[in-house]
Amino acid sequence: MRKLLALVLAMLALVAMMSFAVAEEPLTLTVMLPDFYTDVDFETENNPVLDAIEAASGVRLDIQWVANSSYGDMTSLTLADPDNMPMLMVATGARDPIIVNSARAGAFWDITDYIKDYPNLAAGSEGIYNNISVDGRLYGIYRSRAQARGGIYYRKDIAAQMGITEEPKTIEELTALAKALSDYSDDTYALNMVKYVAGTIGIITVAHGAPFNWGVNAEGQIYPAHQDPAFLEGLNWLRSLYAEGGINPDFMTIESGEWDSIERTGKAFMRFDCMDNCYRQQEWFEKNEGVTEEIWAMVPAVAAADGNMYMWPQNAGYSGEIVITKAVKDEETLKKVLAFLDWTNSAEGQTLINWGVDGETFWIREDGFRYTNPADDVDMSLQVQTLQHSLNQLGTNVTGDLTPAMKLTTLREEYNSYQKSMMEYIVNDPCHPLTSETYNSFGTTLSQMLEDAHVQYIAGIINEDELRAVWQAWSDEGGAMMTMEYNEAYQASIAK
Amino acid sequence: MKKAERAAIYGTGRAYWHRLKMDLIGHKWLYLMLLPGLIYFIIFKYLPMWGVVISFQNFVPFSGVFGSQWVGLKWFRYFFSNPSWTRYLANTLLLSVMNLVFYFPAPIILALLLNEMKHARYKKLMQTLLYVPHFISIVIVVSITYVIFGSSGIIYKLTQQLLGTEIKYLTDPKLFRWMIIGQSIWKETGWGTIIFLAALTNVDVQLYEAAMVDGANRFQRLWHITLPAIRSTIVLMLVLRMGSVLDTGHDHLILMANSLNRSVSQTLDVFVYQQGLQSGQYSYATAIGLLKSVVSLILIVSSNKVAHMLGEDGLY
Repeated sequence: MRKLLALVLAMLALVAMMSFAVAEEPLTLTVMLPDFYTDVDFETENNPVLDAIEAASGVRLDIQWVANSSYGDMTSLTLADPDNMPMLMVATGARDPIIVNSARAGAFWDITDYIKDYPNLAAGSEGIYNNISVDGRLYGIYRSRAQARGGIYYRKDIAAQMGITEEPKTIEELTALAKALSDYSDDTYALNMVKYVAGTIGIITVAHGAPFNWGVNAEGQIYPAHQDPAFLEGLNWLRSLYAEGGINPDFMTIESGEWDSIERTGKAFMRFDCMDNCYRQQEWFEKNEGVTEEIWAMVPAVAAADGNMYMWPQNAGYSGEIVITKAVKDEETLKKVLAFLDWTNSAEGQTLINWGVDGETFWIREDGFRYTNPADDVDMSLQVQTLQHSLNQLGTNVTGDLTPAMKLTTLREEYNSYQKSMMEYIVNDPCHPLTSETYNSFGTTLSQMLEDAHVQYIAGIINEDELRAVWQAWSDEGGAMMTMEYNEAYQASIAK
Repeated sequence: MKKAERAAIYGTGRAYWHRLKMDLIGHKWLYLMLLPGLIYFIIFKYLPMWGVVISFQNFVPFSGVFGSQWVGLKWFRYFFSNPSWTRYLANTLLLSVMNLVFYFPAPIILALLLNEMKHARYKKLMQTLLYVPHFISIVIVVSITYVIFGSSGIIYKLTQQLLGTEIKYLTDPKLFRWMIIGQSIWKETGWGTIIFLAALTNVDVQLYEAAMVDGANRFQRLWHITLPAIRSTIVLMLVLRMGSVLDTGHDHLILMANSLNRSVSQTLDVFVYQQGLQSGQYSYATAIGLLKSVVSLILIVSSNKVAHMLGEDGLY
């Protein structure tokens, strides 16, 4: 009897083992992502979002969250320990020397030849794939971002009080608007500027017709943007507004964190920045100041002297990329990982990655729109952050936005419409996909040198001759070398 | 100690090693107590020093120290070929000299003043209050500075009213170093008095009584008794200070820097931070750090020599 029992047990054990071997183990994917909610713990067990992702894609995510503020440091630490790398990681700067060098050293899978087999990934923009490539090879999937985000927004109620009711269409009308806003009162300023000036200077110089960072001249050669006469016109625009008292005289000492509050306290009425801030400010005023009318207006671009519109690109079409590291050991696993990334770009994948599960982390209400809570007076943010956390950082969305729509205000709708309609006016940086050794070594110091001189010129500390002297010094200290390197790389890339 | 002197005391060759062995056995518990400290220094101070090897490489974290390409003195040449390096050095040295002249004596003077206080409870209260700024983060100190010195700040308005001219405290390059020194003095002077106050407690009270009998006034007592008593502490602190002449720190300077004062706010430490952490040029930043360390070592050894010549104990 006992022998029989032992035999049965042994048989049962064998069957159990066999059944385990037959059922395919889901692939556990280790991922490193930036964490924007460091004060909330992510739920790893019994998380309906992770379960839903596993059920739909056959992949179990094992996520290592890294505080966004220290993500850059953590990237280099992670890459310094090849045995413990995650299989997937977000590289926040695709052109950072650390990422470029690691790609060249073989830290990531070269996916150039695989991508065509995955329909969603292949649907991504070729130009943006080119922007993130290293030496012509592709090492990641870009995280798609709208390019037509940067523009002008201002307080239209103040402008109306000063007699301007039309939105500016040309540079002259913009000048008139700035003048009117500047005259409103002695304690307030027209243009809201802070320590971070790259966006403001970029928007106004590009609007005047200057290239963005680098341009290509009539002979097909690369030249730095500040050598374009339109660039100086843009700087002069800011310089004369500053001289008239239209800009806070201390703007270069104000931290970027103050930017919003300057508008909220009514100290300044216009800003050259991402236009999504326009509807955010409108919504803030509605919520906190009891404003019922639309008091903010946005203008994506105005016509330059030649009559054309030029729009500053807020980014190069992406914000970082997802790379597959060599922690993925074989080609078979690589294909599974690529299939997973392909799935995250399907409508189902995008919804799960960006918003989570209906009824748990987002809610489709009766009107058919997506909300962050089931009803207006319910705060579900803690639950959303616990379950969904910053999972959207894994979203690449190269197929566009396929997720359930939110209900839009007029300003939000206007903003969204510009992202398509303004694309043709975007001025791109021809050197973005190219590498320059000098840029990698001295780039930060050289850009700083230019930016400082431009701020000093705007603030009237230095004159045009002194500004030209700094441009010459920039050229001598590595700028000329950089131009040459970019030019060589550019000529090589168009010859291909 | 000369070699001959050492030989006379400890013996030479086998005799020396025999004495050392006997000493180790005889005082084994004392040596055992030394062990944790020794291990700490080996693990956390000496082993990491091998990292400087990356300053001779084109270091890529993924390839590691052993896999990165060896480039010899490339980064050192790079640094000296940058026309701005003299400016970084000049900014660093100027700030350090000003630190030495204005900030270094401040705690000594304050400690002497506190020492002269009669009322014990009032003195304790003052000490406690003076320590408070040390515990305020430099970020907060800079924010407060921005609020009171900015163009809507109270001090800015005050000087504007009194002098009739606008003094741009936050953007004028000429004032930058004074602002930095001022903030350092405000923040650290009180805390810096601790070590001097401790040295002052060692002064024999009988000396003061004898001097009073001889008719010495307060200043004479201070000059002839108090100051000589803490002289060796002052020299020790000065020698330590010399070792960090090239250390300006980067956080304080970066917080106070802006586009109008960059010409004076860029020091070696700020440059290392920019290159190493912001641009990811680890080898380049390490090379500059190594140069700094060499200069600091030379300074600390030579200032210790000078201290010996002046008849002080110095650092070692």
